[in-house]
Amino acid sequence: MQRRKLLQIGAAASLTLIAVGASVVLMRSAAPAAELNADSRALFTAVAQAVLDGALPSGATRAAALGAHVERVQQTIRGFAPEVQKELAQLLGILCTAPGRRLLAGLATPWEAATVDEVQQSLQAMRTSRLATRQQVYHALRDITNGAYFSDPTAWAAIGYPGPREL
Amino acid sequence: MSTLDDPIQQGLQRGWHVLGGAHGAVPPTLLCDVAIIGSGAGAGITAELLTKAGLKVVIIEEGPLKSSRDFRQRESDAYPGLYQESAARKTADKAINILQGRCVGGSTTVNWTSSFRTPADTLAHWHSEFGLAEMTPAAMTPWFEQAERRLNIGPWLAAPNQNNELLRTGAAKLGIPASAIQRNVKGCWNLGSCGMGCPTNAKQSMLVTTLPAALDGGATLLVQMRAERLESREGLVQALHCVPVADNSAATGAPGVRITAKHYVVAGGAINSPALLLRSGAPDPHGLVGKRTFLHPVVISAATFADPVNGWDGAPQTLYTDHFLQTQPLTGPIGYKLEAPPLHPVIFASTLAGHGRAQAQMLAEFPRTHSLLALMRDGFHAQSTGGSVALRGDGSPVLDYPLNDFVMDGARRAFLSMAEIQFAAGARSVVPVHELATPTTSWAEARLLIEALPMKPLLTRVVSAHVMGGCPMAATEAQGVVRPDGTHWQLANLSVHDGSLFPTSIGANPQLSVYGLTAMLATRLAKRLTGRDVLLA
Repeated sequence: MQRRKLLQIGAAASLTLIAVGASVVLMRSAAPAAELNADSRALFTAVAQAVLDGALPSGATRAAALGAHVERVQQTIRGFAPEVQKELAQLLGILCTAPGRRLLAGLATPWEAATVDEVQQSLQAMRTSRLATRQQVYHALRDITNGAYFSDPTAWAAIGYPGPREL
Repeated sequence: MSTLDDPIQQGLQRGWHVLGGAHGAVPPTLLCDVAIIGSGAGAGITAELLTKAGLKVVIIEEGPLKSSRDFRQRESDAYPGLYQESAARKTADKAINILQGRCVGGSTTVNWTSSFRTPADTLAHWHSEFGLAEMTPAAMTPWFEQAERRLNIGPWLAAPNQNNELLRTGAAKLGIPASAIQRNVKGCWNLGSCGMGCPTNAKQSMLVTTLPAALDGGATLLVQMRAERLESREGLVQALHCVPVADNSAATGAPGVRITAKHYVVAGGAINSPALLLRSGAPDPHGLVGKRTFLHPVVISAATFADPVNGWDGAPQTLYTDHFLQTQPLTGPIGYKLEAPPLHPVIFASTLAGHGRAQAQMLAEFPRTHSLLALMRDGFHAQSTGGSVALRGDGSPVLDYPLNDFVMDGARRAFLSMAEIQFAAGARSVVPVHELATPTTSWAEARLLIEALPMKPLLTRVVSAHVMGGCPMAATEAQGVVRPDGTHWQLANLSVHDGSLFPTSIGANPQLSVYGLTAMLATRLAKRLTGRDVLLA
């Protein structure tokens, strides 16, 4: 009984997601995400604080580290092929609307106002969701974040990586 | 920047014909004897042999020309610069991440140097199931030997790094034999940076061997140039259309080049080679192009030890075990090969699962983390049909590879085998890389966990570095895109010389299989086109 109900909710949610996705996509030009807008930067800043909780520096250097991280996220996205950039731009567009954020990420609070705990709960819900779309969103946000952060030498000391051997 | 000699810079100074990207605009048309699409394993071997035969060769590469002075051992340079889709190429459902080269030298520039001849049972399967009469160890040995001589493939004499040694230690405790992996290196510094391009030119990739030989012999290399479409008429390719692309493979809009040749060799790697045939509308009467694409789907087990492992340090993948390829028949439940891959911060952080505090704790164990990977031998069972390549709206390829229960049953058995070996080697904890897994502290606990985990895509982390198939060779038109001699069944002046030829996966890291097979095909193509006998080595 309960499982059946869950499945129904799942189906309804995915239909709504498709509808939200489609309407947002229709509103947007399908241009590749050459530049992250302010909303997307806020999203990646919030995601970074959640994914990199325990890795990001605290105190005075935190803001600068986050700023540099979002720049690297931008750089990472510029390296993606046009079709991948386009897909990501559509996803970010959806996640930066209130209904898209609620339905896809399960996050009631706007990205810039959400606490680390709230974003972590949202990520964890997507990670273990029964809907492939939500799982895909989790992996995309989490992998881009980790890739951008740990590519930088400033992140290496905390994980005990000495850097490449000098030649 | 490395202060070592850079053979590519030296070659450019000698006057190599290189165009595209920063090397100068292409002319609107080019005429040559053979156009080779791609510059990886199959393309490099083919380019050297055809140039030796006196043919005028043009090599077309979508990626950039980078060389040892650019190889700074940094993932931030290497992934966007040297890999397809910034090392984030994904299957259609995003459940598998694919590592594949996109630079001059292709995957050979960034691979981990593991060199295996095609296993005898794989050849026997091709012989019996695809009518490939010459696919026997006896017939193929001379071709593997040539490739081994040319690329300095041989035993690795230095001690394995700790990451590899732990595989041997754990396996030995369980009575499982582990063996040494041959490598294509000359004067290797044992840095462990192979995946970011060899900074000392020790790795005998196509970048520093066959391609320089072809360029010294007068071949032309076009870089940052995408082979967009083959134009064919009446059973013959008439021309190849190419367009300049930017660092991220977007067309720059600059004028392209129309290349006319007597013969065309497609060697852009599985995924890109079938995609070119699909974009070109090449004849495909049996619907085989891009189908049966195999990946050796890989799952990973991470363990922590009391003492440092330093998985980034020293030659990667120097030991392996094929025990679990042999515990069931080739055509039975999927078997797997175990190896110990190198770890660097980005690949480590993005491959392990999790986020937040739990992730930070796991990453802090980086120096003490040991990893094993299991590459599953796909394509030998009726339920292992691999994936299929389709085109996106802009013509770029995407691989759909359903991770079905047959494959995922192998993933579960592989997680079990790896965890048992890691605990036998003395691991303090082991975690299968899976979204619902938490670290376990005993083999008994790991077994209970792994037996209960849902083996589903997107929950189980799956990666691949070996793309094979999609333009299979076979003795009949109904089974193959190309004939046993590598020429297209319907287009007489078109050959395929890369991993897309394989009718199944290999069951071992595929570079030497590509070298050996394409050495055979290209030697014979040279003979057919010129009447001359050439020898790779």
